[in-house]
Amino acid sequence: MSLPARLGAFSPYLQACGPLKALLPGAGNTEVLVKSAVCGHFGARLTHTDIKIPDFSDYRRVEVLDPKKSSQESGDARRAFSYLVTGSTAVVGVYAAKTVVTQFVSSMSASADVLALSQIEIKLSDIPEGKNMAFKWRGKPLFVRHRTEKEIAAEQSVDLSELRDPQHDKDRVTNPIWVIVIGVCTHLGCVPIANAGDYGGDY
Amino acid sequence: HQVLVSFQPLLLSLRRGQASVSYAQSLLGAPETRLTTLSNGLRIASEETNQATCTVGLWIGCGSRYESEKNNGAGFFLEHMAFKGTKKHPQSALEQAVESMGAHLSAYTSREHTAYYMKTLAKDLPKAVELLAEVVQSSSLSEADIEQQRSVVLRELEEVQGSLQDVCLDVLHATAFQGTPLGHSVLGPSANARTLTRNDLVEYINSHYKAPRMVLATAGGVNHDELVGLAKQHFSGVSFEYEGDAVPVLSPCRFTGSEIRMRDDALPLAHIAIAVEGAGVASPDIVPLMVANSIIGSYDITFGGGKHLSSRLARLAAELNLCHSFQAFHSSYSDTGLLGIYFVTDKHKIEDMMHWAQNAWMNLCTTVTESDVARAKNALKASLVGQLNGTTPVCDDIGRHILNYGRRIPLAEWDARIEAVTPKIVRDVCSKYIYDKCPAVSAVGPIEQVPDYNRMRGAMYWLRF
Repeated sequence: MSLPARLGAFSPYLQACGPLKALLPGAGNTEVLVKSAVCGHFGARLTHTDIKIPDFSDYRRVEVLDPKKSSQESGDARRAFSYLVTGSTAVVGVYAAKTVVTQFVSSMSASADVLALSQIEIKLSDIPEGKNMAFKWRGKPLFVRHRTEKEIAAEQSVDLSELRDPQHDKDRVTNPIWVIVIGVCTHLGCVPIANAGDYGGDY
Repeated sequence: HQVLVSFQPLLLSLRRGQASVSYAQSLLGAPETRLTTLSNGLRIASEETNQATCTVGLWIGCGSRYESEKNNGAGFFLEHMAFKGTKKHPQSALEQAVESMGAHLSAYTSREHTAYYMKTLAKDLPKAVELLAEVVQSSSLSEADIEQQRSVVLRELEEVQGSLQDVCLDVLHATAFQGTPLGHSVLGPSANARTLTRNDLVEYINSHYKAPRMVLATAGGVNHDELVGLAKQHFSGVSFEYEGDAVPVLSPCRFTGSEIRMRDDALPLAHIAIAVEGAGVASPDIVPLMVANSIIGSYDITFGGGKHLSSRLARLAAELNLCHSFQAFHSSYSDTGLLGIYFVTDKHKIEDMMHWAQNAWMNLCTTVTESDVARAKNALKASLVGQLNGTTPVCDDIGRHILNYGRRIPLAEWDARIEAVTPKIVRDVCSKYIYDKCPAVSAVGPIEQVPDYNRMRGAMYWLRF
């Protein structure tokens, strides 16, 4: 096993031992001279004691820059900082991962334009009393009627036993002044015209 | 290794039929270590046991941690120069003096301690102290010897490359304590071995070989008062003042969780060490950490225990063929340390072994049980007593203790401190040092499978908690 081969990786850190010279002058130590030829200008004798640990001051934290100060005291603080940074990064990372996954998964649900279709805003003050307004909503006609007091009273006094589908008026509206219904007749699907015909539109 | 022959005191030989001294007896049997301080601050410590031999040495509180980039390796070089002669005894005379006594003179250098010691007959103590005093205070350090020793040091540097355990652990220190003196290897870079001058060595001695940082330690058949007399005679001249009143103070060394990979696929086995910052020698957490390391223990593929080994990691290693060997280690310095596991494994088992090693650490922090701790405490107590098997280990113990703690900690005290460890204490202390901390990793060899650092860092905690 040759010293140069073993310590070759360390040649940048080996102290230059001076110009090439044989260890024992005049001795027939050709092996040593051959090794030194391979080593180049690092001298004929290389030992583990020649290995110079590089100075890592550029990378050290402030608390461990001074070689005359024990590193134990600052150990807890340094570890705490490292773990805090690691922990926070982990939390942030997990949150980011969660966000990305959620976004990808929720891309498979209804898109915004479709969702937009599901809502409609109506200015109720535009509808005078007794009148009806129709809107297109979700592809269907939506009737909003501003009921008169007479109509409200009439609806609320209907005998439930006569109804095919018994439900009191107060259960069908939140504010009795406004009745909001899908304008599709349950019989055959006609769209009634408000206040028209023999029965006033029939709803 | 030399085997020391010590003669049992007469009293013990009467119990020839019985087993050797019981644990309780060995705790209390050792005589108290006596400590005296000279006027210049030099400390003298000895443990007197009735033996014909002794080990006497000088333990100095200096090492590679006190060196700078420029003179890194000076201590090690100096250790080589130490026995090359003094002003009064040139090399041959020194060798002659030592050999004729039948003594052994050795030394070692580590990151924070240096030791020069002699193993000799007890009666030769005066001569031994005289020689040691000369070696430490008036080493000749001739230019010719220095030049000659350069090639020896360089050759030793090259030889060390073959000991991959040393390379791995050295490089672990280099990366864990990068930019600080604790990152220096004791051996120093090869450039310094080529360029250190006599001046550098003399300056090193003048800066660090000071009396208050020295301990003259002895163990064996020595008399403390006699030793103090000899010390006064030979060591009074050791200086205790620093030039410019500049007492070198060790600043704390920053630990950096990091890794270093020396990949070489041509090597047969991978040598890997993973460590966290540990406790300094004087920290109260030392004993619980020693118990924790005993729980993990060590393992070698030659262990015959197989799946009956007590350490869980060893059981797994044996059953799953995870590694060739591993050991839990704790290198303690004055204010910091490295608590880790070192293992040698095949290149396809690295990831598994690393996983189970860190798993063992997590178990220590969370689910260690009463029986684990009880077993570990026993093993630790046994090893502490068992290590002191001779005047040299005892002397080394004394020297290092005085330098680290200012006094010798007796076995009974270690025993009491170990006994006080409970599973909750092990869990709490291990969590304090291991749980969710950045490790330093070093790997040498065919190490492609060593996990990415972030993975290894992530294995230092359990989400379930």
